[in-house]
Amino acid sequence: MVGGKPNFILKDVNATVNEGEFLSIMGPSGSGKSTLLNVIGMLDEFNEGEYRFFHEEVHRMKEKQRSNLYKQYIGFVFQAYHLIDELTVYENIETPLIYQDVKSSERKAMVADILDRFNIVGKKDLFPTQLSGGQQQLVGIARALIARPKLILADEPTGNLNSKQGEEIMNLFKQLNEEGVTIIQVTHSEKNAGYGKRIIHLLDGRIEKEE
Amino acid sequence: MLKNYLKVAVRYLLRYKTYTAINILGLAVGITCCLLIMLFVRSEFSYDQFHNKVNRIYRVSQHEKYEGQDFVNTVTPLSMASVIQQAYPEVESSCRVFAFNRLVKVGNNSFNEDIRMVDSTFFRVFDFKLLQGDKENPFPNASSVILTNEIAKKYFGNNADVIGKQLLIEVGDEKILFTVSGIAEPNPEESSIRYKLLIPYANAKYMFGPNAFTSWFNVQSETYLVLKEKTNMAALEAKFPAMIKTQLGEDYKEGAFNLRLQPLTAIHLDTSLPAGNEPISNPKYSYILSTIGILLLLVACINFITLSVGRSSSRAMEVGVRKVMGAERRQLIRQFWGEAFLLTLFSVVIGIVLAFVFLKPFNNLTDRNLSIQFDFGLIFFCTGLMATIAIIAGIYPAVILSGFKPIEVLKGKLKMKGNNWLRQSLVVGQFVASIAMIVCTIVISQQMKFLQNKDLGYTKKQVIVVPTNKSRKEGLSLAQLYQTELLKHPEVADVAISLYSFNENAWIEMGITDDKKVYHSFQFNAVMPEFIKTMGIKLKEGRSLDATNQADLTQSALVNEAFVNEFGLKNPVGKKLPGKFDQQIVGVVKDFNYQSLHTKVRPLMMVVMPDSAFRRSENISYDFPPQPRISVRMKTANAVANLAVLEKAWKTVVPNQDFDYKFLDESIAAQYKSEQRTNAIVKIASILSIFIACMGLFGLATLAVVRRTKEIGVRKVLGAGVGSIVGLLSKGFVKMVAMAAIIAFPLAWWFMNDWLKDFAYKVNISWWVFALSGIAALLVALFTVSLQAIKAALTNPVKSLRTE
Repeated sequence: MVGGKPNFILKDVNATVNEGEFLSIMGPSGSGKSTLLNVIGMLDEFNEGEYRFFHEEVHRMKEKQRSNLYKQYIGFVFQAYHLIDELTVYENIETPLIYQDVKSSERKAMVADILDRFNIVGKKDLFPTQLSGGQQQLVGIARALIARPKLILADEPTGNLNSKQGEEIMNLFKQLNEEGVTIIQVTHSEKNAGYGKRIIHLLDGRIEKEE
Repeated sequence: MLKNYLKVAVRYLLRYKTYTAINILGLAVGITCCLLIMLFVRSEFSYDQFHNKVNRIYRVSQHEKYEGQDFVNTVTPLSMASVIQQAYPEVESSCRVFAFNRLVKVGNNSFNEDIRMVDSTFFRVFDFKLLQGDKENPFPNASSVILTNEIAKKYFGNNADVIGKQLLIEVGDEKILFTVSGIAEPNPEESSIRYKLLIPYANAKYMFGPNAFTSWFNVQSETYLVLKEKTNMAALEAKFPAMIKTQLGEDYKEGAFNLRLQPLTAIHLDTSLPAGNEPISNPKYSYILSTIGILLLLVACINFITLSVGRSSSRAMEVGVRKVMGAERRQLIRQFWGEAFLLTLFSVVIGIVLAFVFLKPFNNLTDRNLSIQFDFGLIFFCTGLMATIAIIAGIYPAVILSGFKPIEVLKGKLKMKGNNWLRQSLVVGQFVASIAMIVCTIVISQQMKFLQNKDLGYTKKQVIVVPTNKSRKEGLSLAQLYQTELLKHPEVADVAISLYSFNENAWIEMGITDDKKVYHSFQFNAVMPEFIKTMGIKLKEGRSLDATNQADLTQSALVNEAFVNEFGLKNPVGKKLPGKFDQQIVGVVKDFNYQSLHTKVRPLMMVVMPDSAFRRSENISYDFPPQPRISVRMKTANAVANLAVLEKAWKTVVPNQDFDYKFLDESIAAQYKSEQRTNAIVKIASILSIFIACMGLFGLATLAVVRRTKEIGVRKVLGAGVGSIVGLLSKGFVKMVAMAAIIAFPLAWWFMNDWLKDFAYKVNISWWVFALSGIAALLVALFTVSLQAIKAALTNPVKSLRTE
């Protein structure tokens, strides 16, 4: 609240994302793209409006229900990777499964699968600080995917990477999308936004245009 | 899940080695102290619990009012036990315990031994173990003796069959041949009744005059009663006055004479009653120790918390990530508390190991014989301690960190407000404890030094005191023989005989009603005339006693200034002593501290032959037996050579009796043993406390430097010098220590003022003690912080800025 008037971070945002879509959100700094992503990811709360996720009314849910829903369907990828430094690659990827009470033998198989798929089996016992930025983001994506989410939310996933590493990550997203994972990414880069099937431009918390 | 937590915990601990070491080491030291102190306190509070009838055994104490003064004794008249037992059916049985010190002759060897004369009910009332002999009838006849196995070994060697062996004990003026009728296990450490040799009460007839067997104004022996089950102690006490009235007959005055019952288990720590046969202990000592233990542990726990707070920004990131990955708050709480628990577990293990290492020094310090046994109590204590520490130490990360909103942490929006306040007050708390302990250490050391150096009014240098351990008449002739023999040796400067010397902290207590019908109590000693000169006691007026003057042996007395004041005498020299005494005061000596400096110099009267004074005094009591002692002043301080001379002379005079001796300066120092202990313990505790607190400070400084690396870099680029950077980093810490000092000073002053109340002669607590303590703490803190600050200030700014 500034000067007694409500100060909206997001206003009149009305959008539907279908299953299997690859959506890019663009906009200048401070336009509310990350906030929108966090609201979709149920990390941030909103005061007004409605949010339906698989026909469930998220805005009426209690914390606990939301958390269960979120654990089951959503994976997050961060610009700064946010791997846990004290855990190895293997353990970082395994952690979400632990919080979902997946059995140990099952966890092993799932992590082995994904390591294999991302070609990082050889790095499984390394710690995050021993990896390059691109490799760390790869691990970050593997971690987001491990619980087989329906939706991946990526906040500037290539922001800390050089262009070659960035391209690899974007290709990976494209491939995942083709396999049926819904992806919503926030990005500054026209080029990366181009990987998406649809682009939303935000300005001052409103949808400026859609392409 | 648990495995994952453990892994993270261990890796965290390994990664931040300094942090881990500070926490574990600090906690371990705190735990070691707590454990050792717990052993001591537990021992203190578990006295006499091992008897089966423990809740039914009471000791009788006697309370008399005489001339407005209260006289309380825990030793009671000889006939009291049987009178009480006959009068009250609720008394199941009784046992008297009389303590005395005599020569025991075994073959050709003599030993000066502590002996207990007890009723034959001894082994039925109390649960002391009899290894050989009959519990129901331990003394088949009056001259039976029971030894502990330790004493049996000392007298007869390892493998001898001791039952039936004989030994000679001087009982009263008789030498009686005793026959060993049993072997007992030594009393447990935690026992208010101690024994080495036990003889039956039938021997009382050799020790006491006929009057002692009937008079109720003649206290001698501890009396223990076993009450029948479900007897109300208070109800029984209430019945006593009627019995006392019949017993005392015409001497009875309403309310002037009373008996009370003290539970056996209360004896050891009850300082409201005087000690009986055995010394008792002040629970204050346990409380001081417990306080110190808890404080040290708190200081260590605070390290844990402040360092967690300091590291919370890096830890917060992990919380955020874990939450995004689906962690619930309770899972994170479990993780953080698990970590705290793991760290505490390491600390407890190291703490226990350290406790074993330091058990012996601690035993020396407390003069006890404690051992660490993993019994239920200890395991319970360790587990409890571990849980408490883990809960306290883990409370910040578990409760606060786990509550962070992931979105705020991950976006770096989280502001660590409020934590500063918490962290600072915790650090201030640590330094309050440390500074207060430093002040106490200095004040206690000052007082100890004062006690050692105070002019006592006599010369304690190079004096060895040799007790005769014999009754008055026999001892006197032995002493005179020994004196003559000693004076032949050129190493000996002077020899003086007296009934008491300065090893005894109290002489004979006497009382008399003066001519104005006012009762006064005072101390009394019988000294040979040379005692005054040999001991360097100064005369104020009149003359000293004169060995060549026959009248001085029986007709003259010396008194001290306090005596003159007590009785309000004017121009005392030449006057007759007050009351029924018939001697004339020939001189007044300056007050000298024949008792420890806890007490003001009491009125004192000294004569050569005490018989007339003994007869006329209205009240006589003493803590140490009146057995002549020989005080020998040597020309040099060579202890070994001096002792050789004294022992050789002794063997010439009494070849069959043990040579017993004490250095005067040592026994005077021993009067302040408990204060010496407190001194040592507080000193160690204050060093540990400041050490642990500084370790925490070091950790915090490290974190501060890491957090402000960039700021320091920028400032350096802008031209800040090393000094200004160190100042910048240290300022906050210095402020905290200064604040702690302000809080600590009044606390320490209050504690020390209270402690010094025990002394009649004491130092003043001067302002510089506080200044010194504050400055010392400040310097140590500053040094600790600057270790990190200087390193940070010297780092090339290019390096720290490039990493961003």
